Amino acid sequence: MSRLRYAAGRLLQSIPVVLGVITITFLLTDAIPGDPVSIMLGPSPSAQQAAAIRAKFGLDQPLHVRYVNYLIDVIRLDFGQSLYYGVPVTQKILERLPVTLLLLVSSFTFALVTAVPLGVISAKRRNKPTDHVSRIVALFGVSTPSFWIGLMLIILFAYKIRLFPATDLVMPWAHPSAVDGASTQLEVVLTALHHLVLPTITLGTLQMAAFTRIERSSMLEVLGQEYVKLARAYGVSEGKILRKHAFRNAQLPLITIVGLQLTQALGGAVLTETVFSINGMGRLIITAINNQDYLLVMGTTLMFGVVFVVGVIVTDLSYAYVDPRVSYDDTD
Amino acid sequence: MSEPLLTVENLQTQFFTEEGVVRAVDGISFEVNEGEIVGLVGESGAGKSVATSSIMRLVENPGEVVGGTVRYRDEVLVGFEEGPDGERRRSPEMLSEAEMRTRIRGREIAIIFQDPMESLNPVFKVGDQLREFIEINREVSKAEAREIAVDMLREVGIPEPEERYDDYPHQFSGGMRQRVLIAMALACEPNLIIADEPTTALDVTVEGQILDLVRDLQAKYGTSFIWVTHDMGVVAEICDRVNVMYLGEIVEQAEVDDLFYDTKHPYTEALLRSIPRPDQTVEELNPIEGVMPEAINPPPGCRFHTRCPDAREVCRRAHPAYQDVTGDEPPHRVSCVKYEDVGYEDSDPLETAATGAFGGGLVEARGESDE
Repeated sequence: MSRLRYAAGRLLQSIPVVLGVITITFLLTDAIPGDPVSIMLGPSPSAQQAAAIRAKFGLDQPLHVRYVNYLIDVIRLDFGQSLYYGVPVTQKILERLPVTLLLLVSSFTFALVTAVPLGVISAKRRNKPTDHVSRIVALFGVSTPSFWIGLMLIILFAYKIRLFPATDLVMPWAHPSAVDGASTQLEVVLTALHHLVLPTITLGTLQMAAFTRIERSSMLEVLGQEYVKLARAYGVSEGKILRKHAFRNAQLPLITIVGLQLTQALGGAVLTETVFSINGMGRLIITAINNQDYLLVMGTTLMFGVVFVVGVIVTDLSYAYVDPRVSYDDTD
Repeated sequence: MSEPLLTVENLQTQFFTEEGVVRAVDGISFEVNEGEIVGLVGESGAGKSVATSSIMRLVENPGEVVGGTVRYRDEVLVGFEEGPDGERRRSPEMLSEAEMRTRIRGREIAIIFQDPMESLNPVFKVGDQLREFIEINREVSKAEAREIAVDMLREVGIPEPEERYDDYPHQFSGGMRQRVLIAMALACEPNLIIADEPTTALDVTVEGQILDLVRDLQAKYGTSFIWVTHDMGVVAEICDRVNVMYLGEIVEQAEVDDLFYDTKHPYTEALLRSIPRPDQTVEELNPIEGVMPEAINPPPGCRFHTRCPDAREVCRRAHPAYQDVTGDEPPHRVSCVKYEDVGYEDSDPLETAATGAFGGGLVEARGESDE
């Protein structure tokens, strides 16, 4: 029960955060130099045309009126019409968001699945060769830019040995008829996974390296705790200490970092999508900015903000799930 | 007298650090009989906790048990022998790590740590932690282990143990957590419990309750205890026999009454004098002068001579033997040059932290503070 209450509390707290994101995005977009009207009408439009366009999009209103109008629209989940694409921003986001989410989920899965065992083994074999190797890998991982990793992977695996494709990402939920060489949904999923390999490694390497370092140090710390010594003194085997007594406690700092790395990953998604020509949110936001499509800029930025807020809430909830001290009152 | 439950002979544990070898436990010997509470007393850093982890073979890197024997009934927990090349090596009788784990730890010898706040795992339910250790160390099913755990929680005075079973450690007070740890030790039905300063982290009223509890339970279950403490008051309260440790060595060992009323070693005397009493003000406290030297570089001769009010020239040269000085049964062993025929009487007094700058009349200077 207390966990549910905690979750509800965190959700309520996120409302002012999202409101803040909307406000800042709105003000920043307004402050960007350049006039969307001139982009829409081309160079040197007539004053009459410009005024008509301004009136149509409400751009002739003072700032605070436009802000309130925009807020009301957002609450009704209406982000306006994209100037560049000529379709509603909502439709564009719904089309692109799943692609980026897929990329995020797959790269975080890759990062966690490799980092947790690496970190644990590193801690268990502290200062032995395995530890050194994993630490060097982690060091390279955090210090190499992801777009460079992406380019190298493309050169090596897509052009030299042609093991994995570098473009034309397929969605696992696409209809079989829309995918080349696939006749069943399973084949579509497999094709999608095949395509996802390189982008996942590109985006996930940095997270993987960061997670490995955290996992190692937090595991080392927990292994030195009194309760681990106590378990040892009561005849618990080393394997079980690692798997049960130390493991759960050691995940707490990792969970925090996973949440924080989400910002980094959202930024990384922009680069990764560009390198692999993936039509996700990252490329959408770039197109929007390049074309001064201010409604699309606001919509996509807001969406990134929401994804981050949701990620942080999920982080907090998993923290509360792992550590009973977070959601329970001391006083009961 | 029957065979002792645990015999420790000449146990040595060293830490191999970058600064050099620290002789944390340097040849201590004592035994624990069935149903007895044996005290291990000394200042912080004397090597008490290292001694107990050495018995359990739980010394962590860079520490290592390097010599001596620890025998528990017929099992050799620690044993060394001289190999054909003259090198000291582990004796074949010594239990393997796996045997220590499955046959000794928890099952025969259990431990209660100093800090009840850190000894329980914060992310697991208290009852489940108790149950897990019972399952490992006794031939019982999961359901039976749970029942034993609840009974034991009741036994150590946890109210509503059925409900408290599902609580997490942070929902318990320090005293309650220490009760849980005592329940943990007793529930595994060991013959020996090592209590490593179990009341140090608790406030005095709780300490009294815990001591009463342990005394009652000890009478009921007949479990032997090694009680590690720096508090002479606790020793008087609970121990049958006492070992006083100083800088890795045991300097005096006697029945508890003997130790208090017929104190032999100047260090023990100093320890007893330093107990604060209600009729004294802070200025009247008698702390032991000086600080304990580091075990990495112990003073030559008697290790206590740098702080000893009775120190003489000879103490700096002669390392005193650890011997029985009364000839009575049970023995009263002490390690002090005063009780040896090495010319203590004719030796010149030594200026030490305890004798102060005035040097003069040693007997008069005893216990005087530096201020």
